[in-house]
Amino acid sequence: MEPEAGHFETEMNRGFLQIMVLAMLEKDMYGYAMVRTIGELGYQVEENTLYPLLRRLEKNGWVKSKWDISEDRPRKFYGITESGRRLRAGLLDIWNKQDQILRNILKEKRHV
Amino acid sequence: MFRKLEAYLEEISHFLSGREEREEILSEIRSHILEKAEQEFGAAGDESIAKVIASYGPARRVAEKYLDGRPIIAPAFKRYLFRYTALLFAFHFAFTVAAVAFKKSFLVFPLLYIPSMGAFEALGYLPMAFLFDLGVVTLILYLITQSKKEVRLPWPRFSVDLDEAKVPKRTIGRIFGLAAMTALTGAAIFLYIRYQTVFLINLHPTEYKPIFTPEAGRWYSLILIGLWALGTIRLALKFVTTSPWVDAVKSGLSLVLLGLVFRQPVDAALAGRPSDNFVFWLQLNLTIVVLIICIVVAVDLVKAAVRIGRKQLAK
Repeated sequence: MEPEAGHFETEMNRGFLQIMVLAMLEKDMYGYAMVRTIGELGYQVEENTLYPLLRRLEKNGWVKSKWDISEDRPRKFYGITESGRRLRAGLLDIWNKQDQILRNILKEKRHV
Repeated sequence: MFRKLEAYLEEISHFLSGREEREEILSEIRSHILEKAEQEFGAAGDESIAKVIASYGPARRVAEKYLDGRPIIAPAFKRYLFRYTALLFAFHFAFTVAAVAFKKSFLVFPLLYIPSMGAFEALGYLPMAFLFDLGVVTLILYLITQSKKEVRLPWPRFSVDLDEAKVPKRTIGRIFGLAAMTALTGAAIFLYIRYQTVFLINLHPTEYKPIFTPEAGRWYSLILIGLWALGTIRLALKFVTTSPWVDAVKSGLSLVLLGLVFRQPVDAALAGRPSDNFVFWLQLNLTIVVLIICIVVAVDLVKAAVRIGRKQLAK
């Protein structure tokens, strides 16, 4: 990979992570479990990136949270809201369009 | 209670100060670190917690990710920070030179007060003035940014657009210029070595007549040689670099040397016994000439500063 690719990857990840988190939160999850699940899916996310992102999503009303204190350690569970679902649908639409545009460009290049 | 964990959270808390959701953020981080230590290292102990903290990242970086990151000055206004500071400082500088030359205080309401001062005091005053100008402009741009209003900032068009000032290309003229400056500086150094002054009426080896007293002659001569030498070095460097720092340093040092002219009182510097009228006339003309040169050099300094600022912003 080109050395500069790391910088672009960080920028690309920013948008992708939001869609991924909104997709995952169809089922309520807490932060550490999300980090583990994302890792098992073959993607890496820094904890110190995930929590502020969850907070921003919550602040905008796209996810909701509640503390579970039924066990020894309190855990903060997050879940998607209706407004979050609409946002996710919009973002997925954009993502699909971008993906299609790139595929078309690359297909045209191959034919030239 | 884990000491390292509490110290880490305390540090994050410090950087989050003022945020109402601080406690909740800290609780979530605490919960995460304890769970990760337990799940990945078997148990939550000082050692495992230290490892989890190390992977979580430095406290300041963690806290910064929770901050909104609204810039102090909007990116569109950043170039104006340097432009306006340079412009304000040019006024400040001109009034400082006038304060030194005419030994008077100036009040330019509401921003500038320039007290009467000597040349050496001015050397200490000018850096402080620059920081003041930078602070004032920063404050204004900060307030405009925070107001979130669509403001189009004015910028005067000079006959030479300072923002677009181009570096001259290598030309025959510059080669002749360098040759002339080298010859002039060399001749001045030769005269100084021979007569201890370059201000002479007659160049005869034994009947030469200096204009100034030996001490003043040496003083003014060294300033003149210094100015010409700086000009020569600048022209030479222009063949190998286009860096605006060359012009900035040359102009800055030239201003320092010009400031030193006023350190020597002209009435006591003249050789012989000139009339009071002549001394007054000479003093007035010397002041005007040095002031004009100062303004020209200051404009060069501002041009170089704007070019440096543009390069930094481009980076």
